[in-house]
Amino acid sequence: MGSRTAPREALHHTGRIAVELRDVATAYAGEKKPAIKNITLSIKKGEYVLITGPNGAGKTTLLETILGILKPCRGIVKVLGFDMSRKPYRARVFCSYVPQDFIKPPEEPFKVREVVAMGIASNKPLGKLSEKDWSFVDNALEMFGISDLKDRPIGRLSGGQQQKVFLARALCRKPEILLLDEPFSSLDDDSRKLVSDILYRLNIEGKTILLVCHAPPELKGVSMQVHMVNGVIDEVKTC
Amino acid sequence: MLTLFASAILASTITGSLCGVAGVFVAKLRLSTLTFAVAHAALCGAALGLFLETDPVITAVVLAVATSLVLGPLIDVTGIPSDTLAMVLFSVYNALTFIFIFFSPGPALAAEKVGGILWGSVLAVTKTYLIALFALLYVYLFSLLILWSRFQSILFDRRLVEAEGVNTKPYIYLLMLLTGIVISIALRIVGGFLVFSLLYIPAACGFTACNFKKITLVSALIGGLAGSLGVVTSFAFNFPVGTCIVITAALIFTVVVVCSNIKKKKLFREISKTT
Repeated sequence: MGSRTAPREALHHTGRIAVELRDVATAYAGEKKPAIKNITLSIKKGEYVLITGPNGAGKTTLLETILGILKPCRGIVKVLGFDMSRKPYRARVFCSYVPQDFIKPPEEPFKVREVVAMGIASNKPLGKLSEKDWSFVDNALEMFGISDLKDRPIGRLSGGQQQKVFLARALCRKPEILLLDEPFSSLDDDSRKLVSDILYRLNIEGKTILLVCHAPPELKGVSMQVHMVNGVIDEVKTC
Repeated sequence: MLTLFASAILASTITGSLCGVAGVFVAKLRLSTLTFAVAHAALCGAALGLFLETDPVITAVVLAVATSLVLGPLIDVTGIPSDTLAMVLFSVYNALTFIFIFFSPGPALAAEKVGGILWGSVLAVTKTYLIALFALLYVYLFSLLILWSRFQSILFDRRLVEAEGVNTKPYIYLLMLLTGIVISIALRIVGGFLVFSLLYIPAACGFTACNFKKITLVSALIGGLAGSLGVVTSFAFNFPVGTCIVITAALIFTVVVVCSNIKKKKLFREISKTT
């Protein structure tokens, strides 16, 4: 149960492609019509991909299919060279995910610092953290301007503050690929700017970013825009 | 050599504490209905023990452990919602329990033993039982100590931890297995009908605390306290031990809730004064 991390050096052998989907279709249990279909997409390492589209277009389904949370009924999904139908956990170690439905109820007892630390703990055998790991946690909290909230239970925070906590958790894992589902949905204008600046800097540092947003703010550095409609890719624009 | 009273106090304190901790985990993971299935598997196993004229604790543990081992993979393989599957098993085990009790040999012996299974008995606390209890306490504490960080992450958001590359299934199966063993051991003291109370009442008290460590600790302490005070009450008034433990737990819960509300109101008053 404990030993599960793949060495980061292993990534040097996975080529230049970060995410690859070949003729992928995903259907929810009990549904006859797939939520996404005919998805063929190749995303190189270091790309900043914005996935847009109206409600129900299949943006979240696409993101969760890439991560292997949803199993495709057809096609092949590869992340950093790992076949997601066979080795999803190997690839996920190098990914960070911020879900759309992140809000925790007021009675949630875990403190902000603990929640952010859990991101790093997922990559550690048995989840034990070192002093250095805790300093990464504190840096991530500082980056999002939420250091003063570190000892507060996450359930007592506002939606925007909780969203920043999840973004800090995603970042402190030092992922190769960031998969963000509507990361601006609960943020105010200043916070949106802060987050988009952070994402821009991370992309410059070489991180691959897949960002789902139905109404994106002004984003710097986006290299590819994928527009989805009715579960299919309607348009791919290289920026 | 421990007296029956001392053994009963010791056993009920450990059982109560273990049930308190197990209750926090299953409540936080929203696996309450799964514990119904596991508890009734233990009850069914105990009834099977009566029917086969063997030690009911052994058959209870075997069936409860088998159920907790099978339930998790069964839910994952069939894709049937856990609540639905648990309730199906719960009904089947109930039916089997009554069949085994009905066909148990010797009516007088069966009535006494059936009573022990349904509402608990301090007479069940033997030397072997205490050894089994200490072994379980050791395994449970060891698992918590080693896997505390991982359990915390899973309890916070299982789906997110999965997305971060942790296969949570073995951890969930382990928790279910431990819970199954705790329930089947507790069954002999508090009885099949009341074992849930000892799982959830201390946990409910624990959830009034402000962080997860405290929640677990408070639940364990209150479970242990309810267990020991329940046994004292049972000996003092010659009441069934399971009932006494549960009523004591419920009384402690009432006190905790009242105190928690008073504390909250006091805090609100202080805030309104300062602002």
